[in-house]
Order: sequence, then C-alpha cells, then structure tokens
Amino acid sequence: MIVAHLDLDAFFAAVEELEAPELRSQPLVVGGDPHGRGVVATANYAARRFGIHSAMSCAEALRRCPHAVFLRPRHRLYKEYSRAVWSAVQEVVPTIERTGMDEGYLDMGEVAPDFGRARAVAEAVQAAVRGATSLSCALGVASCKVVAKIASDRRKPGGLTVVPAGREAAFLAPFPVRRLPGVGPRAEERLRRGGVASIGDLAALTDDALRGLLPGKLGPLLRDRARGIDPRPLELSSETVSISAEETFERDISEVERLQDELKRLSQLVAERLEAAGQVGRTVTTKVRYPDFSIRSRSTSLSVGIDEAERIWELACACLDRALADRPGALRLLGVAVSGLEAHRQLELV
Amino acid sequence: MIEAEAVVAAGTLKTTCSRDDLLRGLGIVSRGVSTRTTVQILAGILLDATGGKLSLAATDMELSLRTTVEAKIESEGSVVVPGRLLLDIARLLPETEVSLEHRLEEAVVEVRCGSASYRLHTYNPEDFPRLPDTQGVELHEVDRGTLLETVARVSRSASRDESRPVLTGVLVHFEPGKLVMAATDSYRLSVKETSLEGSVPELEAIVPARALGELARIAGEGEKIVLGVHENQVVFGTGDAWLTTRRIDGQFPNYKQLVPDAFEHEVPLPREELLDVVRRVSVMAQRNSPLRLRFADGELVVSAQTQDVGEARESLPASFGAEALEIGFNAEFLRDGVDSVGGETVRLKLISPLRPAVLQGEGDDFLYLIMPIRLAG
Repeated sequence: MIVAHLDLDAFFAAVEELEAPELRSQPLVVGGDPHGRGVVATANYAARRFGIHSAMSCAEALRRCPHAVFLRPRHRLYKEYSRAVWSAVQEVVPTIERTGMDEGYLDMGEVAPDFGRARAVAEAVQAAVRGATSLSCALGVASCKVVAKIASDRRKPGGLTVVPAGREAAFLAPFPVRRLPGVGPRAEERLRRGGVASIGDLAALTDDALRGLLPGKLGPLLRDRARGIDPRPLELSSETVSISAEETFERDISEVERLQDELKRLSQLVAERLEAAGQVGRTVTTKVRYPDFSIRSRSTSLSVGIDEAERIWELACACLDRALADRPGALRLLGVAVSGLEAHRQLELV
Repeated sequence: MIEAEAVVAAGTLKTTCSRDDLLRGLGIVSRGVSTRTTVQILAGILLDATGGKLSLAATDMELSLRTTVEAKIESEGSVVVPGRLLLDIARLLPETEVSLEHRLEEAVVEVRCGSASYRLHTYNPEDFPRLPDTQGVELHEVDRGTLLETVARVSRSASRDESRPVLTGVLVHFEPGKLVMAATDSYRLSVKETSLEGSVPELEAIVPARALGELARIAGEGEKIVLGVHENQVVFGTGDAWLTTRRIDGQFPNYKQLVPDAFEHEVPLPREELLDVVRRVSVMAQRNSPLRLRFADGELVVSAQTQDVGEARESLPASFGAEALEIGFNAEFLRDGVDSVGGETVRLKLISPLRPAVLQGEGDDFLYLIMPIRLAG
C-alpha cells in the first residue's frame, strides 16, 4: 500500500486570504468572538508566529496579538473551496478518503507503482490543488495511514515528505508521543509517567511494560502504530457506485491496437467483478491518463444494464476513440469502469 | 437502372412561388438536413429550377428527402443554400409571393417577399452529394393507413443503440397476402402481420426506424404510398415527396423462433386501465428500477421501488387462480407494449418469471414480446 495524507495549510484562514488578499500580510484568526468564549478554528501563519494555534481561546489569541484580525468562520464558503480541492485531487488520484473538509487520505498505490512515482504524483496533486483553488497543501506519502499523517505535518506549509517502505519506524521515532494519532491527553500522561516521551520510546516498550502503562487493546495498537504498522485501509463510501479496473503501463503506449487489447483485458476483469457482485451497469467509462498525469474520461450510457465483457469492451473502445480524438498521444494509464449499477438484470432475447 | 441523376442545371436560378408552397416544401426536406456535421454542404438544401418546377432536396447521406414546389421559373439553375436558415426565413415571411434569385457572381441567393429582402450566402451545388435516383425503380403501391399504422406500432421496439445497426431498423417483409413488419432491440419484439389484398411485391429490407418515422411525418392525408428497393437503397414516395434511405445490411434476427409456442398463463386485462396503472406506478420506477407485477388470488399488484426515492403500488382484479407469480419488467418497455396493442382487452401471456412474456390484443394481428427483468433478492 502507498497512501498519502493531504492536509490543506491553514485552510479557513487561507480561504479568507484568497477572498480578501489585503489580509495576507496580517495575523488572521478565524474562530469565535475574542471578547467572548470562542476558540480559534484556524490561524494563518502570521498569527501562528505569535503562538496562536487552533483550539486556543480567542481571548488568549487576542492577548497574544492585539492587532490580529478576527473573523467568524464562513462554513458554506469553505465547503465550496473544499469541494473544488477534492475534485481537483481526484483528477489525479481517483480513490480518496476524506476525513475532513481540509484533510484526507489518497490511494497512491492505484496510480503509482513505487515511492519514486508516488512523489511525482503527490507533486501533481499539489499543482492540481493550487491550479484549481490557489490553495496550498502539505502531503505525506508512506506505506500506511499513521506514517502518512505524521509525514504530512512535517513540512508545513506546502511541503511534501515521502517515507519509503522500511523507514517508517525510524521516521516516527523522534516525534513526541503525543503526535501519534490515537494518543490522547490521558494516554500521553500515563506514557510520560512511565518515561515514554517519544514515539521511538513507545515502539521499544516490551509487552510487560506496555501492559503496565496502557491496559487493554489500546497498548498493542498504539505500539504497532509507533512502529509504523497500521493496517487500516482507506474507508471509502460504503455504497459501491462503480466497478472498475485500470492499469498503469511500464512504458507509455500509443498504438491504438495495443490500447484496445489492454481495454479487452480490463473489460474482462470488470465483467468478472460485476458478475461476482451480481450486478449490471448502464454506464461504461474509459479513463485515460497522459504522461503529464492529466486525466480524461469518456462515458456512454445504455438504456439497460450490462455485464458482458464483450459489450463493455465494445463501448470502452468507442469511448477511447473519443478521448483520443480530443487529445491524441501516448497513454500511461488506461481504465474501464461500469457505473449506474443495479442488481436487477434485463434479460435479452437474442 | 439507378445512377446518379444530373442535379446541376447550368444557368442561374430565378424563380417565384407562393410562401405557403415554399414553406411546405422546405418543411418536408428540412428533416434531411444534417444538423451535426463537419461536412458543411450537408447543412444545405439544394434548390433546382428545371423543366418548369422548383425541386428541393436535402440529404445527410443516410436519408434523402426531395419534393417539388409549384413555381414560375424565370431562369433555370441550381443552388445550395443553408437549409435551416431558409426554413426559418420562410416561416416568418408574409403569406404572399416569394422570389428567389441566385446571384452567381456574388455567391448569394436573394430572397424577396414584399418589402423584405435577404441575401444568403450559398454553397457550391457541385459539392452537393449526388442523390440516389428514383427513376426506373420498380415501385409498389401500399395503402397509406395500413403502412403507417404498422410503422407506428412496430418501430418503437427498434433499438437506438448504433453499435448494433441491424436492430436500429424495422424489417419490412412482403409475402403472399401479407405485409410483415418487425422490430426488436433485443429486450422486446414487435411484430405486425397485415393482410394485403391484390398483388403483393416480393420484397424484403431492413429500413432504418428513423426513416420510417420521417415517412410518417411527410405522408399527407389519404395518399397512397409507393415503395421500392434498389440495391442498397429503399425508396418511398408519397404525393410529390420522395424519401430515400440507406438499407441496413445484415441478418435480422429470426423473430419467429423467439416467440414461445405455448404459455403457462394467459391473463386478460382491461387495456386502458392497465395502461393507467402502469403509468402511475412507473413514476416510482426511476433509474431503471423494475416494475413488479405480482399475480395472486384474482388480483394483479403492480409495484415499483427506487432506492432513496420511494415506492408505489396499485392493484387491479385479474383472473389468475394459479400459484402466485411475480415478474419484473422495464417500466418503459411494458408501457410501450400495453400502449401499442389494440383493442379493449390485452392478453398477457406468461410462462415464468424468467421467460419471455407476450402482450396481444383481442383479434389483433400485432404481437409484443417482452423480456422480463430478473429481480434481485
């Protein structure tokens, strides 16, 4: 598994800066009333220099920086930006798990065969987000979620940290244990009392020592994470909306006949998956990716659902022709998806 | 023999006709004007003034339409003008005389009507595709009503999926004493056998359903329709309008084999009532959700359910005494079927939930076969 964690930099504040560029140079706090009991939702980097951070009380923020600009959050606006960000991300990496408006995990393994390529894809994601919204984001790329999450925080704002497989534990070791997802204030306190300050200390605990500090299942789970072991897959929305198969080529392919052969194989795979799921679909989509990582997809919809490999292939080839007519050239990836899924199957006469 | 007819007259066209005649003629041929084409000339209508009449023609290379308009020809000639534009203009002109004059050196056609005048840029008639000739084709006369009624009832089952061309056509087949027409999109099949009196031509062709739809549109009241087949073209004539269409190559499915010989159940149902029930319940059969027909205890319950949308159900009495049977159909296909059979009573013939069902009217020579949807769960 190669997974990336994406975190938008000071998201709410960054959106406010885009909406009113004159705010860019000033300390900016988005949150509650500084004269009431509100807390800081996001502070821009200028405000962070005064020690202002999320979840701090706005009154405290005001004390630390009396000339800061305080704004109330405009969630509807942030949602619009968020939507634009994630659709730009999905142009590059189709499978994502959003964990919030401003962060989420990306299935890099689907589009990159190794960590070197994953770095290029992560850069393409950053460029896509910047291009679509002018927002910057930090990414961490690793073999599992927990490492990716910590890595994304490493070089903020706008950074990219790749932790290759095998380097997880070494990468995590120096960070304070509180940074490990799953370690809350109480666990931190217990660990601190036991002399565990860094993630590396936690990783090195023996079973007995661990049991003494963190009883139950939580101990082994957190120690695994501290060692860079995290089997959690991406949580995708539970309802399957499409069944697909795709292939990134060793070398870019430009011959149409070879592309059609690839489509045939992918259509076969999709047909098998449809059959296994007991579903048929009405829309066939062909997705192509060019060497510059840009993606195009073309679809055809039918009046009834299908699951036959041959029919899927026919339609996928027609979609490929349309995509290549719009932009000819070699492809680095080809995919076939069937959507508009239904469990009922229209029977045929001939 | 059909060869291309010489369509291009030499001189520069100049003619006068009534706006109504021109509009009628343009109305007929404009449906042959290609709307989505990279070949610009196909968006044009050929005006040809020769032999004392004004001919209009348009083609999208699959379907060609031609007609003539009564006109006073002052100078013979041919010109191609943007079809859609000329039709729009003719619609708006006052109901008087319209003059058309080709100004060759300026490459425009001048349209004058009362004090209104237009100058339309022209296409070169030399570039206009040669239209299939109707001269010398052996033509057979068919009763207009018989043919068009059959077209209306059968052609709905034709497929709109261009990837299987044969199924986008209607099989038109004459055999001794009758005309048979059939269409199928592989999910349903419509067949109508119509008895014919007198001599019947020996003729069989798969005709694009779209062309038959256009034929129905241009065929005026009470006229005979003539038809003929020549090589890869089928020709229809009605009044002074001619429609030529590409004939679809290939083997039409052997529809006789597709119709089961015997059925387990035959349920007579009041047609209008059933149609209303199907229409009402279909509202909740969205995103291709099936319509469920459950027969049990002297009742038919029609229901539909769409996830996250809702459901509907309605029942009507049905003489069904056997063990309960539930069968699913595509709502649109069933509606088309109930709508296209004739008579007050429709007989729904069933075998089992996964076998074809047939709809037939009382004493009707029309058959509608529909394949069920296999219901999940």
